[in-house]
Amino acid sequence: MSALLSVTDAHVAYGKVEAVRSVSLEVGANQIVTIVGANGAGKTTLLSAIMGILPLKGRVAFAGQDLSRLDIEDRVAMGLGLVPEHRELFVTMNVEDNLELGAFRIERSKAKASMERVYTLFPRLKERRKQFAGTLSGGEQQMLAMGRALMGEPKLLMLDEPSLGLAPIIVADIFRIVTELRASGVSVLLVEQNAQAALKIADQAYVMELGEFVLSGKASDIAANERVAASYLGFQHEGSTGL
Amino acid sequence: MNTTIMLFLVQDGITNGAIYALLGLALVLVFAVTRVILIPQGEFVTYGALTYASLAAGQMPGTAKLALALGIGAFAFDLFVARKALHGRLILRSVLANVVLPAIVLALTIYFAAQKPPVAICIALSLVIVAMIGLYLYRIAFQPLAHTSVLVLLIASVGVHLALQGLGLLFFGAEGQRGPAVLSGAFTAGALRFTGQSITVYAITVAFIVGLWLFFGLTLYGKALRATAVNRLGARLAGIRTTLSGQIAFLLASVIGALSGIMIVPITTLYYDSGFLIGLKGFVAAIIGGLVSYPLTAVAALVVGIVEAFSSFYASNYKEVIVFMLLIPVLLLRSLAAPAVEEEKD
Repeated sequence: MSALLSVTDAHVAYGKVEAVRSVSLEVGANQIVTIVGANGAGKTTLLSAIMGILPLKGRVAFAGQDLSRLDIEDRVAMGLGLVPEHRELFVTMNVEDNLELGAFRIERSKAKASMERVYTLFPRLKERRKQFAGTLSGGEQQMLAMGRALMGEPKLLMLDEPSLGLAPIIVADIFRIVTELRASGVSVLLVEQNAQAALKIADQAYVMELGEFVLSGKASDIAANERVAASYLGFQHEGSTGL
Repeated sequence: MNTTIMLFLVQDGITNGAIYALLGLALVLVFAVTRVILIPQGEFVTYGALTYASLAAGQMPGTAKLALALGIGAFAFDLFVARKALHGRLILRSVLANVVLPAIVLALTIYFAAQKPPVAICIALSLVIVAMIGLYLYRIAFQPLAHTSVLVLLIASVGVHLALQGLGLLFFGAEGQRGPAVLSGAFTAGALRFTGQSITVYAITVAFIVGLWLFFGLTLYGKALRATAVNRLGARLAGIRTTLSGQIAFLLASVIGALSGIMIVPITTLYYDSGFLIGLKGFVAAIIGGLVSYPLTAVAALVVGIVEAFSSFYASNYKEVIVFMLLIPVLLLRSLAAPAVEEEKD
């Protein structure tokens, strides 16, 4: 079976500075794939380019279709969703309106059912559905950003640093929901600095350093790799500096 | 000063203020959604007013031809942008919206202009013509610049204003025009005399504000427009096209402008260049509202109208000066209250 998302030889540049160099990756159906790496490795840049926010040189295909001529909105309509690092919520609108707008490209009749599903995944959002998005806590905002993206019924959800700045208990919650998503048929491409948690739930993993993938393979193998363990998992081996 | 004069002035101020309120709301809306400071808003007012007056006088307004010309331009832009991935449905949609529609309206205008149509038809045609001009202008002048800075958009906006004003002179000549009242007749209540026209102004303004409020609060498209204003990237990630929001904003702004013009032209003689000053007063209200607050803009517009009415009574030579001076303390206060900001972040 062909991959849901396949990126081949992608380059992304800010002016003359290449932030992502010759990167290839695949996400299959019902898979969690993670990209781990240090701050500034180019992970966010790569996700933005796959979504169409930044121009990308190379080939990106989603569900067998070439994306190069499609803009962000078309990619959303095809079933590609992104929860960006800064969440980009509609802060002066309430939770319910935020969710409703997430289903802008979905038939009205289906949107109601989607909202119930999101509320089942995130009961906290239901409690706060009349509250302005800007007044939510960081964790709730992350849930709302994920909920809004899920309202668009994505086949692949790309999550950019969902655990950033959140309390450990909420992070655990969010990672649990990511695995639930896989079970319900949504693939996830997860970008994380919290490599330990990401590798635990992922099927496949890529390690990114200075704009390039330096390692890839099954997540369990990557987690067992000594260099990765030293650099990203916080286990100090002899002679390694850690990060 | 006696109470009667004061009441007259307040009444006059509220009538004008209601119109500035509509224009100010349109400016805030367009700025929030597209970051364009809509200088040509005043031209929408004159175009609406003079198209209406011309039609009512049995003359053919040039604006109907302009709409077709701009529509063809917009169609050309659509074709050029989509040149690498042309497909039948896209071309058909663009032809229908940009060429066939203004052509039909032009044909109707030619047909009706020859026979002094009833007021309702004049109003409907004027609104449709100006709405189309607004929509196509967005496509031609602003959509290609959507990613640029506020300053670039402002310069484009000034350019559009100058072009439309010149065309207005060409279409309508240098003489002013007046149109027939939408609602004739009058009644008196105490010392005040209410004309049908001023009642129309109040009713339409209130109806429009309530309508906008319902549109933004309850409908999906209204919410999408707000979402684009709050967070452009977030809206795009939800699948809401920035261009769709821009089109709706410009459509609303041009309809509001034209409607204001149609409401004013039975009261005041309008010239091809009168719109600019009227639009600027809406702009003063919008600035007092910080270009973000709708309620503050509406209240400020009423204040502008009333100040204008009183200053035209006491110091008519200085009435514009006094109205625009309202801006100085507001800008001072705002600059003191707001921290210095970077050029712009987007």
